[in-house]
Amino acid sequence: MTDFLQLTAAGLSQGSVYALLAVGLIATYTVRHVVNIAQGDFATLAGLGSISLVTAGLPLPVAILVALISVTLASVLIERLVIARVKNLTTLVSIILTLGVSTLLQAIMLLVWGAEARRLPPFPGNDLNLGGVSIRSQELWMLGALVIVGGGILLFYEKTRWGKALRASAEQPVAARIVGISPAVASVLAFAIAGFAGAAAGVVSSPIYLSIWSGGLLLGLKGFVAAVLGGLVSFRAAIVGALLLGVLESYVAGYVASGWKDAVAFFILIIVLIIRPAGLMLRPEAVRV
Amino acid sequence: MNRARRRRLLVPAAVAASIALALTGCNAANFGGGDDGGGDGATEEGPIKIGAVLDITGVGANLGVPEQNTLNMLADQLNEDGGINGREVELFIEDNQSTEDGAARATTQLIENEQVDLIIGASRTGPSLAMRPLVEAAQMPTISVAANAAIVDGSEWVFKTAQNDIVVLERILDDAESKGYTKIALARDATGFGEGIADIITELGAERGITLTATEAFEPSATDFTAQMTNLRAADADAVIIWGITPSAGLAQAAYVQIGVNKPVYQSHGVANAAFFEAAGPAAEGVLAPMGRLLVADQLEADDPQKEVIDQFIADYTEAYDAPPSSFAGHAYDAWKIGVAAIEEAGTDPEALRDAIEATSDFVGISGVFTMTPDNHSGLTADALIMAIAEGGRWNLYEE
Repeated sequence: MTDFLQLTAAGLSQGSVYALLAVGLIATYTVRHVVNIAQGDFATLAGLGSISLVTAGLPLPVAILVALISVTLASVLIERLVIARVKNLTTLVSIILTLGVSTLLQAIMLLVWGAEARRLPPFPGNDLNLGGVSIRSQELWMLGALVIVGGGILLFYEKTRWGKALRASAEQPVAARIVGISPAVASVLAFAIAGFAGAAAGVVSSPIYLSIWSGGLLLGLKGFVAAVLGGLVSFRAAIVGALLLGVLESYVAGYVASGWKDAVAFFILIIVLIIRPAGLMLRPEAVRV
Repeated sequence: MNRARRRRLLVPAAVAASIALALTGCNAANFGGGDDGGGDGATEEGPIKIGAVLDITGVGANLGVPEQNTLNMLADQLNEDGGINGREVELFIEDNQSTEDGAARATTQLIENEQVDLIIGASRTGPSLAMRPLVEAAQMPTISVAANAAIVDGSEWVFKTAQNDIVVLERILDDAESKGYTKIALARDATGFGEGIADIITELGAERGITLTATEAFEPSATDFTAQMTNLRAADADAVIIWGITPSAGLAQAAYVQIGVNKPVYQSHGVANAAFFEAAGPAAEGVLAPMGRLLVADQLEADDPQKEVIDQFIADYTEAYDAPPSSFAGHAYDAWKIGVAAIEEAGTDPEALRDAIEATSDFVGISGVFTMTPDNHSGLTADALIMAIAEGGRWNLYEE
């Protein structure tokens, strides 16, 4: 029983990282129908950036804040320089485009930070031991980041005027423009949210999982699988899906074989796509007027 | 294959080769080597080409990057000193991205396109094993810098400079036996480096009254080790061996301490670098690992036969790269020096060069004192290893 709870705890903290990435993916998908392959690279970029800033002598909170802001800006910059330039942006084009962006970002990270994995110092706090189940304080930070950042984005979309406007421009772009919601602003905002969520995932996970230039793609794919579970439009479903994915991975590694761990996500992806052959991604397209 | 058939194949091949040579402006003397008999004189011109296949990016980066640094530094030093017998040395370093197919591609590239005289690499066991059939078929003298004995077992053309895994495990199990441990649990790298480790422990353990009670595996790219460590905790052994490279072995160590297994840990020589401490953090404290003398050079006896070589290498490397070398840098150093000494003596004819490497005797290197024989292409004994303990953020000499 202790082992089961231990695996669950590890899975939940890992899943919270996937959840933040899934939230970022959905943010850009709902507004621009962009599947952003570079989403995971925002995480590694923020991780490596904050490591450099800490090494340069900045206090940890300041370094993290600077990294979060920089990566958010980088995401907006990518939107302005790449995504906004494309006239006929389909989901497929967005995948190809952002795959290019991802490759470019990885090359830059490799040149700047080198090939070796690096670690951000752990955030303050004490590790817990609840009846033999050990939980690192950093894992609580990871869950906390999901609650605050993920929850904050959820509230923003559902409760604020800006958030509702963003959703409106996603679902009815023409009508939204008529009532004065600028698609350009909506797009920038969506990428800012995606960049911020990805960066948050990167800085909270770096002290445990380390940051390495090439780590983004797999992370992004795990986030994508979670986002697909949420139909690529539902933040709530994606967050639940991400936590489920993390826990499932943990059980598979513990009870089956650790080598199967990374296969879980792809197995789920295939199952979902077979059960919903119309493609969960096609749904928003159909409601477009 | 009959004679007429062979001729049909040979003619177009020869034409294609001539065209390729003419197009690339290659030195024809490098082509064909000693096959035509008596052509040796022709190969002894132009630069000497040494190729290297290293894990510069990917999971083996902590190994490949210092190895790349070392080879670049040694090649520069050698050329400043006038090269080998007056001939300049050209170094071709290929990144295999820590993959088997990358290593195979890079090897083919070095043999076919660069026509190198000697190959060094790869950094890890898996890629090294992928290179083996290629270099054996091409009769290319090759010195791997990876650990698993399978790389050189029964090989004709492949040598290696990292200490054999079996010798490392002997060291670990000797220490375990002396402390009265009877049950050992293992978490091993799921790639070539960890292949066969469980069998060796079972075999060597039987002589020492030690049984292997649990085996877990982890990918070198893994970041979460909770599952494996939870299972090790349930195994209830007297001690645990974590067998992998940094950073994964370091992350496993961190998870091990976090989960609270609370048993002594042995690690392999795959963690013989400072990066282990970055990955494991405070969890590194107290870990024992057999390794070469490089990382504890400042604690060696003054009369240690390797001390002078090691001190010089540390000084040179630190000056060039502003950071101390790792054991993996040392493996590259040994491969380079053994290879260069053999070329100096025998030239670049593949057969002669191979024989010269095989005749390496009492070579004082970083990872130990090498004596190769036709049956032993690794050349190191258990004396090459010391037991090190992780204390205060560095490796220290362990007094039993």
